[in-house]
Amino acid sequence: MDLHLVDRIVEEGILKIVSAADIETLDIVESETVGRRSQIIQARRRIGALPPESRKAAGQSINKGLRLLTESLAERRAALEIEVEDLLLDQDRIDLTLPYGRPSRGTHHLLTSTMNEVCDIFRSIGYQVAEGPELELAWYNFDALNTPPAHPSRFESDTMYVEAFAGEERSGPDELLLRTQTSPMQVRFMEKQAAPVYVVVPGRVFRTDTWDATHSPVFHQIEGLAVDSDIRFGDLKGTLAYFAREFFGPSAKTRFVPHFFPFTEPSAEMLVWFNGAWLEMLGCGMVDPNVFEAVGYDPSEVTGFAFGMGVERLAMVKHSIRDIRHFYENDLRVLEQFR
Amino acid sequence: MRVPVKWLAEFLNLPVRDADELEQILVSLGHEVEGIEHFGPSFEGVVVGLVEEVVPHPNANRIRFCRVNDGSATHDVVCGAWNFGPGAVIAYARVGSRLGIDTDHPTTIGAREIRGVTSHGMIASARELGLGDDHDGIMVLDELGAADLDDVGRPLEEVLNLSDVVLDVSITPNRGDCMSIRGLARELAAYWQIPVKEVSPRLATSAGPTDFDVSIVDPEACPRFVAHRIDGVTMGPSPLWMQTRLLSIGQRPISNVVDVSNYVMWELGQPIHTFDAEKIADRHIIVRRAGEGETLRTLDGATRVLESGDILVTDPSGPIALAGIMGGASTEVSAETTSVLVEAANWEPASILFTSQRLGLRSEASGRFERGVDPDLPGLAAARTVELISLTAGGVPRAEAVDNYPVPARPRQVAVGSGDLSRLLGSEPSFKESLELLRRLGFGIDGENGEATVTVPTYRSDVARPADLAEEVARLHGFDRFPDLIRYGKYGMLTAAQLATRRLEAVLVGAGLTEAQTLSFIGQADLDTLRLPRDDPRRKGIRVKNPLREEEAILRTTLLPGLLAAVARNVARGNKEVRLFERGRVFHSVPDSEDPRIPHQPVHLGVAMVGGDTDAFSATGLLALLSRITGSELAVVQGRIPMLHPGRGGTVTDGANPVGIVGEIHPSLGRAYGLDGRVAVAEVALDTLISVPSAWHLNEVSPYPPLVFDLAFVVPESVPAGRLLGVVELAAGEDMDTLELFDEFRGGSIPDGHRSLAVRVTLRAMDRTLSDREAGPILRHIARAVEERVGGVLRGRA
Repeated sequence: MDLHLVDRIVEEGILKIVSAADIETLDIVESETVGRRSQIIQARRRIGALPPESRKAAGQSINKGLRLLTESLAERRAALEIEVEDLLLDQDRIDLTLPYGRPSRGTHHLLTSTMNEVCDIFRSIGYQVAEGPELELAWYNFDALNTPPAHPSRFESDTMYVEAFAGEERSGPDELLLRTQTSPMQVRFMEKQAAPVYVVVPGRVFRTDTWDATHSPVFHQIEGLAVDSDIRFGDLKGTLAYFAREFFGPSAKTRFVPHFFPFTEPSAEMLVWFNGAWLEMLGCGMVDPNVFEAVGYDPSEVTGFAFGMGVERLAMVKHSIRDIRHFYENDLRVLEQFR
Repeated sequence: MRVPVKWLAEFLNLPVRDADELEQILVSLGHEVEGIEHFGPSFEGVVVGLVEEVVPHPNANRIRFCRVNDGSATHDVVCGAWNFGPGAVIAYARVGSRLGIDTDHPTTIGAREIRGVTSHGMIASARELGLGDDHDGIMVLDELGAADLDDVGRPLEEVLNLSDVVLDVSITPNRGDCMSIRGLARELAAYWQIPVKEVSPRLATSAGPTDFDVSIVDPEACPRFVAHRIDGVTMGPSPLWMQTRLLSIGQRPISNVVDVSNYVMWELGQPIHTFDAEKIADRHIIVRRAGEGETLRTLDGATRVLESGDILVTDPSGPIALAGIMGGASTEVSAETTSVLVEAANWEPASILFTSQRLGLRSEASGRFERGVDPDLPGLAAARTVELISLTAGGVPRAEAVDNYPVPARPRQVAVGSGDLSRLLGSEPSFKESLELLRRLGFGIDGENGEATVTVPTYRSDVARPADLAEEVARLHGFDRFPDLIRYGKYGMLTAAQLATRRLEAVLVGAGLTEAQTLSFIGQADLDTLRLPRDDPRRKGIRVKNPLREEEAILRTTLLPGLLAAVARNVARGNKEVRLFERGRVFHSVPDSEDPRIPHQPVHLGVAMVGGDTDAFSATGLLALLSRITGSELAVVQGRIPMLHPGRGGTVTDGANPVGIVGEIHPSLGRAYGLDGRVAVAEVALDTLISVPSAWHLNEVSPYPPLVFDLAFVVPESVPAGRLLGVVELAAGEDMDTLELFDEFRGGSIPDGHRSLAVRVTLRAMDRTLSDREAGPILRHIARAVEERVGGVLRGRA
């Protein structure tokens, strides 16, 4: 038998199979190509008539051809069946750009997500997260932080004081106030835990400020504190520069200039180069020895740095928010833009 | 503090005059520059002119007709002033010049006809030029010593040296010494390593010493009082150069004597007060604390009622000045004053702060005393003041001042070792370099090999410890020159409660709620609106002593007023479906269990929802979801709560104690907030949700097929569905897999006061396939239990 003849039969068969336009035609093609009367089956019947030395090669060739034809038929059949189903499914067509109803996910408040983001940046370099009370003793908010009794920030024009428990009169360090900074938690934390300390403290703070675009009586801060046996000014700079790059992006540049805070010495302010300007972003400094003494740390044994930043300020700078009131009006049209 | 660059340049040879460069240097030294302003004349096109001829106006008596030479031509000008004659050098506003360009109504000078004569421009008065209040006549520049014939034709602003660049520098509270031109000059001099010019007043005098007694009763209140007398003074306006200086720093010129005191305060940082020496009784000054209720009429005319902490300058007749803050009216210098007593004193900062704050009298002087003024300064400042008074108002100063200085300040000495600096700053700069930096800043240095004694100048009261010296070293060295290093801590993990809180918030957000942040304050009206019972602990809110508004005078005891107001505001703004949650602290007037010195201030979780298909189940469903996520076992006990719908609200319990509320708000409460429709709320103490241990254990699942039975019971209305489910669950025993209530039905054959509740019980054993035969007794047991416990009758089974 001429093996080329088998190849030709298979070629012609496959051509017929792939050009079958519908399942009915394919049924006919199937009987023509692999049916009882098909050429290839006829050829297989004739193998026995071949000389013994040719039988094996002819058998292999025919079986291979038969397999090819069968596979092509199955493939074509599956394709045609999908075509038929797709025709039916076309009836089920919809316009995907039609509105699909309200998205069911809400949003985190930007202040919360900003605080989480900042805390996570510091967690990535081994800082704990702690929170403290909002109603505080003057001791924690001022005295232990080396703020003298005669300091303007203690005036009622800056600080909100509250009544103590019924009938109780308090004065000096025992006075109850709404904390004006998250720094008191530094003191509480050090009272409870021996050095080393690496902690950030997010939270709500209060000042006697009337509302305008950049002031509100309620706002948020994140305090940070690192105390160890050998912390130096360069550690403060590098740590906060790392934070700035993580928060504002890798191109954020930082600059430190001298400043004054009662609870740090030396004190500094960190400026961040963002959107074409140097912006005052946070206050920081080396922990004042008086603070260590107030919490019972030995200032000759440890050094440390502390920093504090305004959460609203961070969020406003990063997300182009011009009015602090957006954070507290809770208008869904604003809240839903938060991500 | 406003710092004119030209004034600064009087104290040192500025290598740099560019304002931006100066700003950068000041900022690097710790002096923030808040603004850079160009101070200049309020006019343009005005020149120095010479009056060549003055003739009467042909048609008017009160005005004259002048010929004014402006250096290139002679012009006809009509003028109404009479304080000059031919030969006067004056300010000539040419045609086209403009006046008042810094005001809202600048005017352009044109040629205009006055009584038939055309005036080409005008001769200007000081007030018209914005150079003071004087409007009695025109400015006669040669009489004022401000210009002469050589200046004719030159622009007036150039001749008067009127333009300057003024830096607005913000001085930190610890740097009282920088509240002066000389103080900032010192800082810059240290930076550039150049000298600061000395101020050495020269008093040409033959008069005797100041013949006053000064008694200091309380040397703590007043460490030093210098009084210097000058006689033969003529009160009047100060010279133009001084007026210009004061205008450039934003101070209004008043009179020669008063202007000098302001000038010296700005120049040296020592506030000065001037008395009319003749008005002080018995030439005796007594400095003491005020008696309670004592009064003083200050020179603004107000009568001040004093308290015992206030410091007074008095004479034997009574108070004559509120020390360091404001002088008294009775001894104020006036136009008739001829003899002035200059006070340069040092006051205790805290007393000045409290008094000025209480009386609302914060001034340039009090701002300096609050920060602390160099006790060594009054002698020099008093001499400088009388020198300038004699220069601007004439008069002869006394040869000596009275200087009562009971305990002269001695420069502080600080021992510092190299380790004191390097443990804060690192190895750079070296100890030797550090000492050199301190020396440049005016500190005295003794020793250098690892140990030194640093002598602190009296004007640096803020420096007392090695840490303070480290700051001085660091800022002059330059903060930017220290390396950037990172410090790593050891515990970057969140606590279990912090993790649970984050998870819980993520679930709420995923469930379609949006987080709100509301204020921590509420008002009495909020509590009334909530219809809280009289004895409810939430009514006993802690009051703010100095609230911004009465509506925000109480610390919130519940999150609901804030949330409901936020929901209502949204609805009013057209947001129809609003679902808010808030996590925040509330404040209770009971001691905190961990720190009994402060009130208990637990974190609450609050929810408020409106719109869509919101109803009480929206809130109970959320609680169930949170409960499941956190593993806490919150349950709802239905009951009447005044703020909630009587049939759709209840208490949330942790199985034993109430921990919150849940349900729909009472429609009356909705109306109070302007909310229609069903408003669902929940509020729970966050602790109950997040304090559950996070470890949990998997329950093995059965590989065997379940048997499912639907049972319908007729139960009295008084039986809550939750109760029925509890009874069924208990009775079904250990082979019960799941239990679900799927239908509630009333009417039809169900008797009044009853309802049908259908439950689906799925039975599945862990160790075998349950047969129907085994299920029979279980179902009968359930039916009996329901009948016995809650009076329910099995109505059907499928």
